[in-house]
Amino acid sequence: MSPKPIRAKNARTIAIQLDHRAASCPEGVTVLRAAELNGVFIPSLCSHKDLSPFGGCRLCMVEIDGMRGYPLACSTVVQDGMSVLTETTAIREMRRDILELMLSEHPSSCLICTEQAECRENQYTIRKSGVSTGCRTCPKDGQCELQSLVEKLGVSEIRHPVYYRGYEAEHDDPFFDRDYNLCILCGRCVRMCQEVRGASVLAFMNRGPKTQIGPAFGRSHVEAGCEFCGACVSVCPTGALVDKASKWDGKPDGAEISTCPFCALGCQVELHHKNGRLSKVHPHLDHEINDGQLCVRGRFCLPETTHHHERARKPVLKRGRYFREVDWPEALEDVASRLRGLEAGDFLMLISPDLTNESLYTAQKFVRSVLRTNSIDSTARWALPGGTGVWSRLFSLPISIEALAHADAIIAVGLDSRFYFSVAGVQIRRALREGAVLVTIDSRDSNLARVADHWLRSAPGMEGRVLRAMVERLFSGDAGAAPHAAAGCGIEEVSLAKAVRSIASCRSLAVVVSPSAFAVDPGGELAEALFRLEGREQTTFLPLMHGTNTRGALELGALGELLPGFEKADDAARVSLADVLEGRARPKVLYLVGEAPFFERPPCEYVIAQDIYLPPFEVDAFLPAASFVEAEGTLTNVEGRVQRSAAVEHLPDGARTGRVRPDWMIFSMLAETLSADGLHFANAGEVLCEISRRVAGFPASGDRRPRRTSPTVDILPRGAGAHPPADSARRLIAEPGGFRHRGIDLSHVVEGLSELRLEEGLRLHPDDLEELGVKDGDRIVVHVDGMNVTGTARADADCAPRSVTVHRPHAYGGLAHRQGLQCLYRFDGRLLNVTVSGHRNS
Amino acid sequence: MEERVLTRNIGRPGSETLKAYRDSGGYTALSRALKEMSPEDVAERVTRSGLRGRGGAGFPTGKKWSFIPKGTGKQIYLCVNADESEPGTFKDRLLIEKDPHMVVEGTALAAYAIGCRRAYIYIRGEFVHGARVLEGALREARAAGFLGRDVLGSGVDIEIHVHRGAGAYICGEETALIESLEGKRGHPRLKPPFPAVVGLYGCPTVVNNVETLACVPHIIERGPEWFASLGPPNNGGTKLFSVSGHVSRPGVYEVRMGTPLRALLDEQCGGVAGGRRLKAVIPGGSSVPVLTADDIDVALDFESVAAKGSMLGSGGVIVMDERTCMVKAGAVVARFYAHESCGQCTPCREGTPWMERVLWRIERGEGQSGDLELLLSMCVNIFGRCLCPLGDAAAMPVRSYIQRFRDEFEYHIRERRCLAAGGFS
Ligand SMILES: Cc1cc2nc3c(=O)[nH]c(=O)nc-3n(C[C@H](O)[C@H](O)[C@H](O)COP(=O)(O)O)c2cc1C
Ligand code: SF4
Ligand code: SF4
Ligand code: SF4
Ligand code: FES
Repeated sequence: MSPKPIRAKNARTIAIQLDHRAASCPEGVTVLRAAELNGVFIPSLCSHKDLSPFGGCRLCMVEIDGMRGYPLACSTVVQDGMSVLTETTAIREMRRDILELMLSEHPSSCLICTEQAECRENQYTIRKSGVSTGCRTCPKDGQCELQSLVEKLGVSEIRHPVYYRGYEAEHDDPFFDRDYNLCILCGRCVRMCQEVRGASVLAFMNRGPKTQIGPAFGRSHVEAGCEFCGACVSVCPTGALVDKASKWDGKPDGAEISTCPFCALGCQVELHHKNGRLSKVHPHLDHEINDGQLCVRGRFCLPETTHHHERARKPVLKRGRYFREVDWPEALEDVASRLRGLEAGDFLMLISPDLTNESLYTAQKFVRSVLRTNSIDSTARWALPGGTGVWSRLFSLPISIEALAHADAIIAVGLDSRFYFSVAGVQIRRALREGAVLVTIDSRDSNLARVADHWLRSAPGMEGRVLRAMVERLFSGDAGAAPHAAAGCGIEEVSLAKAVRSIASCRSLAVVVSPSAFAVDPGGELAEALFRLEGREQTTFLPLMHGTNTRGALELGALGELLPGFEKADDAARVSLADVLEGRARPKVLYLVGEAPFFERPPCEYVIAQDIYLPPFEVDAFLPAASFVEAEGTLTNVEGRVQRSAAVEHLPDGARTGRVRPDWMIFSMLAETLSADGLHFANAGEVLCEISRRVAGFPASGDRRPRRTSPTVDILPRGAGAHPPADSARRLIAEPGGFRHRGIDLSHVVEGLSELRLEEGLRLHPDDLEELGVKDGDRIVVHVDGMNVTGTARADADCAPRSVTVHRPHAYGGLAHRQGLQCLYRFDGRLLNVTVSGHRNS
Repeated sequence: MEERVLTRNIGRPGSETLKAYRDSGGYTALSRALKEMSPEDVAERVTRSGLRGRGGAGFPTGKKWSFIPKGTGKQIYLCVNADESEPGTFKDRLLIEKDPHMVVEGTALAAYAIGCRRAYIYIRGEFVHGARVLEGALREARAAGFLGRDVLGSGVDIEIHVHRGAGAYICGEETALIESLEGKRGHPRLKPPFPAVVGLYGCPTVVNNVETLACVPHIIERGPEWFASLGPPNNGGTKLFSVSGHVSRPGVYEVRMGTPLRALLDEQCGGVAGGRRLKAVIPGGSSVPVLTADDIDVALDFESVAAKGSMLGSGGVIVMDERTCMVKAGAVVARFYAHESCGQCTPCREGTPWMERVLWRIERGEGQSGDLELLLSMCVNIFGRCLCPLGDAAAMPVRSYIQRFRDEFEYHIRERRCLAAGGFS
């Protein structure tokens, strides 16, 4: 057990002496932190604010009055009246000696080369190379902590013959490369992976001069369960760990703070750009949401998503059997001509919940005020099981991500935070380090279940009932417990009672519910339990849903039945997504804005797609939208914060750069072509101003304060609750897939994600596969509801026993290979009994 | 001089059995302590006896026990350090294999004294036989009621477990030992906090050497005054010395603290083998500075050896005769520490391999002028600047070899051959 990193909240201020000057700092911080707060530089390579002290690099040695030798600034806690010397001749000498030793095993030729200056001057761009032999061939050149320390402390000679370790650089895992010849063994990556992420993928291996970092037992990162969160890469001071994609971009020109466009947490990111292009993404140290952490999507998937070679950047029209790139006026005219004179029922717009507030609002305004219909719908609906009424009320609860980290007790329902909502997992771990109690309710195994004090493993779909039972008991004690509550959920009475007892006396409680749990809760019991808890003091919630701006879509009227601000729209003659899917309606014109919830072209006369990628089927008009780094806007996160999404790429129109436009602007241009008023906006800011006038409580500019909505929509009658499965059968669980962005599945455009194959196939517990006599990768047949569906079996130890899990995508772009499972997707939410038969691959 | 206290049973057939141990009065100390003494009494006697740690640092044992905070409500742990891996040291192994019950009784007494209900014997992985013997002794002791619940009807619970290490020298360092016991990689911890406050599983913990604890039953049985009287002030008792190298009769010898080194070598070990001249002696295991032949009148107690610029350490005496090449000896020692560095902190991880490489370079006759300065400056870089004392353990011997046998090193560099062996060894 290593000492906890010191957090000084509400700490007393104490007076100290730093290099004979009076200084002050909060009590309980380390000398290193105290120096930092007072603007005094102490070199350090192994310490990190989020990690326990390690004391490995030995660079932070200082002299302290009354202490023997050279104590470490990074692990010595300041005392009132302490007098510290941070730089004496002896210390300077010592630090140089240590750096020299470090460099003796580091390809450091460039650092001490006498021709450095000339070399830099004549080298315009970074030298790309397979093996780094010096700073000029290292991807971290100019951004390396070791390099800058050497320059600062002035090491100009290495008395030991430089020794090259000769390890092979590791390129086999996705997202980041590793060259441990450059590693200084500071252990930041190991501690980050263990202490903050709880993934424990990395370890020290071997000892002495052969010490090396990596997953134990020679496994690859994928095999060792790496989440590819990149937290290790972000804290590596050297070029040992670097992003694959931006490796050779060199030092960025600058960075803009923005919001991650991939999920509803709304993590704050730094978009690093180089030569006007997004280079890489770093987590922003925003303590309200992600505090320097991200998940694989935010950390690694943005550049590839916006720069992928399949990005569609020019307007296209279908002319006969051919497709022709056209300019905007021609495209707009063609589309406008189809939109003129439509009858009610002839039109439907589907709009993605991944769009900005500005685009969502303009879209619905376009549909309502220009086309005079309420026929606008969104897959946001799929992300809001239970209906809009339930969710508008959920959004009125006190929702908080940060509160997780400070809660005394946490109930996590159905959440595995490795690849989805990772930051929530990181906050939960933070609370656990401070002694919080964690109860997970989940039919599946998960990374959180493994660290939970109580894992209530319910039968699939019974999570809601278990939560309800817990909540009832919290209010009424064991005695008042309704005996029916937990029956049939697969939970023993004693385990439930124990779990309740462990949190009963906790003051603050945080409840987080994942989309997977909501999706299999047709009876709405989860929401009911949350509403019941609303009255409890110091209780916060985190009801999670897929789709980046699903909350914005709901609030701004992207679902036909609701106008902006949850006002009810008139219901007459409205076409919905379900109408189209179930064949009840066949609108003449279908306008897909960042949506592709079909594998094949829907039977409409004229299909318009407006997106950053072409949809997976033929359309009549394609309008190229700007991506998240090409246009300004705001996104509403699950807590209701309206956060800024920054543009870092300002591409002029051109043959290569294309002619992309922000979504809201395309509607504006179309309205102008149709000679309609009221949609002229000069910029996204003007749209936001209008939203704030129209929707009570919506800010007129980016405002990061959480908001609680005032629900005005009725909760619709709930459906039937889930039934425990029949004995012989398995359960079919259709989980919402989480990797969408607009109309495309991220695992299609991001190669690394596709390598991980996280949402592929029919997933079964390995024991179940064994019982069926099939292996991972074999084909199996699922018999359900009179159909036989064939798919690839995937062994997944996290799966609930006696179940078949299939990930149901919300955007089908790039998922042609999953079309075979399509008929299962319609079972979303309902748990069905299935039988499975397997046959081996011949 | 020779005084067989710890080794009194050794050499008798079946000395490792409970019967043999009891026949020689074993476990009477434990029964007496449990019946007649409070834990504080036991600790107080150990303090008065002047017993100092036999693991290397010589820290007063009673004082160490007194650091355990009282009334924290946490478990208190005792770890017996049986990782004995210091080159030249092999005395704990003898006790473990030949008189394990003495170790068990000492451990039980210490556990009683500090309020520990669960003690762990962390034994070096290579001591396969020793681990088996200990397990056997624990079984016998449990069956006889000396361990387990309600020991001898005293209402005190004492359980002892054996944990085998995996072969890393660093796991003998007390905090690395604790990490390893917890199932982690054996990395030394930053201190403070010290194990007495935050030790095994975050609880107050005492780590003691095997020999240290083996002394405790005798202190209780025969009284602290008797124990203290065996040696000079503050150096109570006898000490086991593992003597190896160029002596006629290498082996483990038990003598009173303060016995002159010369007497140990000449009278007990039969002097330097083959009638050759003595060149150097390492008095306390490979990690302490070397003594020259001129220094061997030193008395073997902590202060006297320190006054000669070395350390009593673990009592691993390594004797080198006139044919020994000090450059090679230094290279061999450096190789060990480079290999065993845990790799956590820079000076030790990077510095020890360089020391080794430069020493072998000199030994091979490829030394360069300036190499000695380089080596000495590396010792400066390492000594006192590392996370744990392993770095010091590597730097101290190398520095002393160069300082005390500088001519020989210079000859090696200048003439490219060995002075001692009259050529290449
Ligand atoms: C690198 C290193 C290795 C050590 N190895 C041992 C060992 O093998 N056995 C031992 O008893 N003490 C060893 N020690 C000393 C222990 O850290 C500790 O001081 C000792 O176990 C305390 O017991 P004592 O007070 O009874 O001597 C080692 C210390 C260091 C720095
Ligand atoms: S990417 Fe994340 S999970 Fe993977 S090794 Fe790094 S810190 Fe650990
Ligand atoms: S890989 Fe980077 S972070 Fe990890 S130990 Fe090496 S230098 Fe430190
Ligand atoms: S001195 Fe050596 S053994 Fe000790 S912590 Fe540092 S690297 Fe590890
Ligand atoms: S920063 Fe203190 S030892 Fe590395």
